Amino acid sequence: MPTLPLTVITDPLCHRHDTGGNGHPEDPARLTVIAGRLGQSPLAPMITTMPPRPAERQWLTTVHSEEYLYRFEETTLAGKSYLDHPDNQLCFESYEAALLSAGAGLAAIDLLEGGATSRAFCCARPPGHHAERNLALGFCFLNNAAVAARYWQQAHGRRKVMIVDWDAHHGNGIQSAFEEDPEVFYLSLHEHPTWSFPGTGWKEETGLGAGKGTTCNIPLPPGSDDAAVMKAIAEQVEPALSRFVPEALVICAGFDGHVADDMSGLSYTTALYRQLGHCAARWAERYCRGKVLTLLEGGYELNSLAASVEMYLTGLATPEP
Amino acid sequence: MFIARYMTTPALAIPQEMTIPAARELLQSRHFRHLPVVDDTGKLIGMITDRDLRSAYPSSVLSGETIKTCLAELDKTPVSAIMTRSFFTVSPSSTLDDALILLDRERVGALPVLDEGGKVVGIFSIRDLIKAYRTLFGLGERGSAMIVVEDDGNPKPLTRISRVLEEHRIRFTRLIRKDKDDALDKATIYLRVNTYNLSAVRNALKEAGFNVTIPTITLKPE
Ligand SMILES: [Zn+2]
Repeated sequence: MPTLPLTVITDPLCHRHDTGGNGHPEDPARLTVIAGRLGQSPLAPMITTMPPRPAERQWLTTVHSEEYLYRFEETTLAGKSYLDHPDNQLCFESYEAALLSAGAGLAAIDLLEGGATSRAFCCARPPGHHAERNLALGFCFLNNAAVAARYWQQAHGRRKVMIVDWDAHHGNGIQSAFEEDPEVFYLSLHEHPTWSFPGTGWKEETGLGAGKGTTCNIPLPPGSDDAAVMKAIAEQVEPALSRFVPEALVICAGFDGHVADDMSGLSYTTALYRQLGHCAARWAERYCRGKVLTLLEGGYELNSLAASVEMYLTGLATPEP
Repeated sequence: MFIARYMTTPALAIPQEMTIPAARELLQSRHFRHLPVVDDTGKLIGMITDRDLRSAYPSSVLSGETIKTCLAELDKTPVSAIMTRSFFTVSPSSTLDDALILLDRERVGALPVLDEGGKVVGIFSIRDLIKAYRTLFGLGERGSAMIVVEDDGNPKPLTRISRVLEEHRIRFTRLIRKDKDDALDKATIYLRVNTYNLSAVRNALKEAGFNVTIPTITLKPE
C-alpha cells in the first residue's frame, strides 16, 4: 500500500502542562497513548517527528490581546491553579507548553510551504479552539488554529484559509476570531448547542459584515453517527469548499465525538476517522497543492483517542480504496 | 421574574391629539410596534399598533385624486380616532408568567406597564418576553452545557442532584424537572452546568444514582 510521508510535530514539554490530575479529562496521557499507538502502527516507518518552536508574540497577538497573554503568563508564574474558570487547570510550565502548542502549527506551515512534507499533524496540547481573544475556555488557552491561519496568510501569503473543525464541540474561539473576515472560512461540525458545551455554534450564524457567508455551523443532534457526518460532508462541507476555493487548509481534529468518549453525546466509530482522513487528503489535493495542516483538539477517552488518531492519519496518508 | 426587570423603558406614550402621520413617523423612527396613548393627565386611554396605522392609510389601488383627499384627511385625524380602547396592562411587580398568560390569551403583541398611579412606566412586548426567557434559560450562555438526566422515581431527585454537584464543586446554573406528558414520555431533569468537565459531571450524577441519557425525539404514533 503506497503511503505518503507524514510529519508529526510534538514536544515533551507539551506533556508537562499539568491539569492537576483528579480525573481531569485533558491529561498528558492523551499524548502518551497517541505516541505509543503510532509507534506500533504500520504507519510508523512513514512518520517523521519534528519539534515545534514557541509561537512568537507577533503571531499570538494576531488573535489574542497583549493584556490576555500577560495575564495568562502571570497566572502560571504566580503558581495559580487555573485561568478564568476552574476547568482551565494549569501549572508553572503551562504557558511555555501553550506557546509550543501554538507554535507547532507555525513550524508545520513552514515545513508544508518549504516542500518538506504535505501532511503535517500537530500532536500537541493544550488544545485551542475554545480560547477567545481575552478568555481561556474549555481547557484551551491559546487559539492554535486561529494563530496558524493568520501565520499562513501573513508569513506565506496564502490569503484564503479554510478551517474545518470536526471536534465534537463548537470552536467558539475560532468563529469569533474570523466572523467578520471574508478570507478565513470557519466550518464546524459539532453536537447541537442546546445540548453541548460551550452552547454556541448555531446554524443561523453565517458570519458578520464582510465575513457574511464564511462561517458555517453544522450542528448534529445527540446520537449522530458516521453516516450523519458523511452526509453533512457531501451536502454542506464539499459545496462550501468548492465555493470558497481555499489556498490553505487547516483541520481541527478533535476525537471526542467518538461513541466511547463521554464528553459528547455523538456516536462516531473509529472507522469514521479514516474517512475524515481521506476527505482532508482529497480537499488538499483539489485545492491546496496537496498540503494540509491538522491540529489536535479534543478527544479524552484514551483508547478511542489513540485508535482514532491512527485511523485518521491512515486515511490522510493512504489512497482511498 | 418581575416585569420591571425586563420591560422596555422609558415608556414612550403619545398624546391622544397626535396625528396619524406623526404617530407613524415616530413608530418607524424608533422601530417600535406599539404605542400607548395617554390623555392630558397622563392616564392610559388606548393602544395603537403599526398595523392600526398602516390600515388607516388609503389603498394604492385607489385613484390618485382619492388618495390625495384621504391623505389630507389623515393629516388632521388624531390617533384617538383609530386607537384600540380595550387594552390589557401589567404592573412592574407583575411576573413574566402573568405577562405570558395575558399575551397568549388576548393575542396582543405588547402590554403597557402601569405604576400604582396608572402612569405608563414601560412597555412589555412578546420580544421582551422571548429575551427574558432566553436569559433565564441560559440559551447561548458561552461555556455551559445541558445535561439530560432520567428521573429515577426516588424521592427528592433535585435535592440529591444539587447536593452531589455541590460536593464535587461542579458549577451549575439551571435545574429543571419536567413531569412526563403521556405514557411515551419520561419524567426528565434538565441540568445546565457551567463546565466543560462533563466526565466529572457524569461521574457525580452516577454516584447519586442517576442515569445521564442522550436526548432523543420520541415521535407520537399516528
Ligand atoms: Zn471537543
